[in-house]
Amino acid sequence: MPNVGHNSITTKLTRMNMLVSAAALLIACAAFVAYDLITFRESMAHNLAIQAQIAGSNSVSALLFNDPRSAENTLSALQAAPNIISAAIYTPDGATFAAYSRYASVQITRILPFIPAQQGDAYWFKDGQLEVIHAIVFRGKRTGTVYILSDLRELTRRLKRYAGIAAIVLLASLLAALPVGSIFQRAVAQPIVHLAETARIVSRDKNYALRATPTGNRDEPDILIGAFNEMLEQIQERDGALRNAHDELEQRVQERTAQLAATNKELEAFSYSVSHDLRAPLRSIDGFSLALLEDYADRLADEGKDHLQRIRAATQRMGMLIDDLLNLSRMTRAEIRKEVVNLSALAQSVVAGLREAQPERQIEFRIEDHLQAKADPRLVQVILENLFGNACKFTSKRASACVEFGKLRHNGRFAYFVRDNGAGFDSAYATRLFGAFQRLHAASEFPGTGIGLATVQRIVHRHGGEIWAEGTVEKGATFYFTL
Amino acid sequence: MEDTKVILLVEDNPDDEALTLRALNKNNIKNDVVVARDGAEALDYLFGSGKYAGRDTALMPQVVLLDLKLPKIEGLEVLRRVRADERTKLLPVVILTSSNEDQDRIAGYGLGANSYVRKPVDFSQFLDAARHLGLYWLVLNEAPPVRRS
Amino acid sequence: MRPANDTSHFPAGFERGPASSRSGPVRRTLALLWCVLFAVSTLSAEQPKPSEYQVEAVYLLNFAKFVEWPSKAAPPEGPFNICVLGQYPFGAALDKTIAGESIDGRKVVVQRISKPQEAISCRILFISLSEESRLAEILKTLDKASILTVSNVPKFSQRGGMIQFVVEANKIRFEVNLTSAERAGLTLSSELLKVATAVTRSSQPGD
Repeated sequence: MPNVGHNSITTKLTRMNMLVSAAALLIACAAFVAYDLITFRESMAHNLAIQAQIAGSNSVSALLFNDPRSAENTLSALQAAPNIISAAIYTPDGATFAAYSRYASVQITRILPFIPAQQGDAYWFKDGQLEVIHAIVFRGKRTGTVYILSDLRELTRRLKRYAGIAAIVLLASLLAALPVGSIFQRAVAQPIVHLAETARIVSRDKNYALRATPTGNRDEPDILIGAFNEMLEQIQERDGALRNAHDELEQRVQERTAQLAATNKELEAFSYSVSHDLRAPLRSIDGFSLALLEDYADRLADEGKDHLQRIRAATQRMGMLIDDLLNLSRMTRAEIRKEVVNLSALAQSVVAGLREAQPERQIEFRIEDHLQAKADPRLVQVILENLFGNACKFTSKRASACVEFGKLRHNGRFAYFVRDNGAGFDSAYATRLFGAFQRLHAASEFPGTGIGLATVQRIVHRHGGEIWAEGTVEKGATFYFTL
Repeated sequence: MEDTKVILLVEDNPDDEALTLRALNKNNIKNDVVVARDGAEALDYLFGSGKYAGRDTALMPQVVLLDLKLPKIEGLEVLRRVRADERTKLLPVVILTSSNEDQDRIAGYGLGANSYVRKPVDFSQFLDAARHLGLYWLVLNEAPPVRRS
Repeated sequence: MRPANDTSHFPAGFERGPASSRSGPVRRTLALLWCVLFAVSTLSAEQPKPSEYQVEAVYLLNFAKFVEWPSKAAPPEGPFNICVLGQYPFGAALDKTIAGESIDGRKVVVQRISKPQEAISCRILFISLSEESRLAEILKTLDKASILTVSNVPKFSQRGGMIQFVVEANKIRFEVNLTSAERAGLTLSSELLKVATAVTRSSQPGD
């Protein structure tokens, strides 16, 4: 386990265990020892008081008959108790009557404190020694006082013994704590350590197939391991689901693409069939109408001829519509191959074509030089053909028609414009300009199907550009587009 | 007898047939026009089989006006076969169709059509076209020599 | 600290008289007068230091606390008699000592008697020095009587008395004749015997 060392929970657990055991033991020991020593002190004092009492009652006659020697004899029996340092018997008025001292150096200089009559004994622990005073009462009369001074060697010895025992017990329990600690470690720490290690490996290798082994203990670490494994499971599932979704998406995209391709194909087939089958009947209608007009001209009234003319006109118009629609459809479907196109040159060629188609028209074309764009040249040609064609168409009533084609700045980008000084249009209807078959002028005024601008818009949008127009009635119109 | 120049018109639509004939007529194109109403018939005529078995296949039409949408055998298939056969390989074929689709034009020229003309809806335009066609193919154009075998 | 009982002054008083030799007969007379006065004063009852008889008086009472009389000795009611036979030497000391005291619930009373026959109801009999010559007779009379005989007559215990006061190292001590006591049916506590200077078992009274 890298970088864990002293901080490992095993160490912590063991340390904690030992600390707790030690603390518990110490507290218990301290409590017991304290209690014992307190009671022992009392019993020491009690014992000493008994000895004083015995000495006292044996000294009564000595006191009464003024025989200090006898009293001294009695006191000297205290030699048997090694803890008694000195003893003395006093007369009722406090004079020393007899004395005993274990060590020659010890002198009795004590001034006895007064003992109230009803109290027989008194004791003090002072300066590491125990003093006991016993009032000798013989036949109800205070005859004297016994004083015994003892050291606390027994207490000390007892204390030392206890300390020794406590130390041994402490040591033994600490030693016992070690194997217990290892059990703890196995039960508690080991699963966690294992889990930590597993998690680390999973995170490092991004291998979500790993699992931690559960201990089967049904405790919190086990729950943790279980949850951890579940999470890994979920991660794997999610990964799998993600992959599946991705694959599905890919597949769907492929399907869509195939569908689109198929649809396109259908559209093409449709257009193809339209271009043939729709036109054929129209041809018949127009052709035979003309045949009627020519062959039976003498048998037709003017009105009849007029009818036939209208029939022919309508049919031809329908033909145009079909053609324009087919064109529009083709523009939508066509592949765009962008390349650098010289717009100026292209414009010139379109203009040339238009002049040729209508040589009688006098139109001034102002084309800006060096116009370039990255676009599909065929489609741009269609744009220019439409826009220029419109410009020509709508300036047909002008004496001096002028069409400009150039480039200007708009919103930080370059936009191309085609401006004419023709009939213009009402700006209010600007939104309807680019709709299919939408016209702002009657067909009688200016011919057209209304498809041209829709087609141009389609092409511009397919290049990712924008197209818009401004116009003033009778003043002219300007068409802007970006590529 | 001098060989009159025959025009083979391959057209399935009777209206279109009538109108084409009319157009030719109006333009004083007095050639014989053989009408084949489907691809098979056209090939029969050209190769002298089926309905036209026994025809002198040495006598090829001056020009073939070929529509594309034909029953039985498609126009392009007819063109292919025409171009595949030694006898008709050099035969002038003008595709006369209402389709202006790029792929048709590419296929047509690719298969060796000499010309591709669109049938307009406006009949007067068609008259113009017919005149031009007649003028060119029947008058101006030098047809390939007829192989006599 | 002053010791409780110090009788060292008693005999010394006589010895420590004024010893000047400068003057003549007047001085000698004065000295004599002073000595007599001093002797008288020491012999009087009120002494700052306890005298021999004061101590003996206390002892007499204390003996009672360490002796058991046979139950047939005297009626349970009635006072505890301490009798003094002969010249009364105690002065006020004995009366003072026994004032308010009681032995086994019996009031202690002092009786002066002149004849041993009067000692019937006595528990303790002190035989004064004055009776020394008649001692044998007294003891004979008192033989087997449950009376504790105490005296400071020399050789008292030898001669059959139970307790004899002696002076030893300037202290009042006593000797005990255990046989006499036992003959009288008296039980003397070992505590008493402990503090006796001598405990003897002697022969018949009257020796």
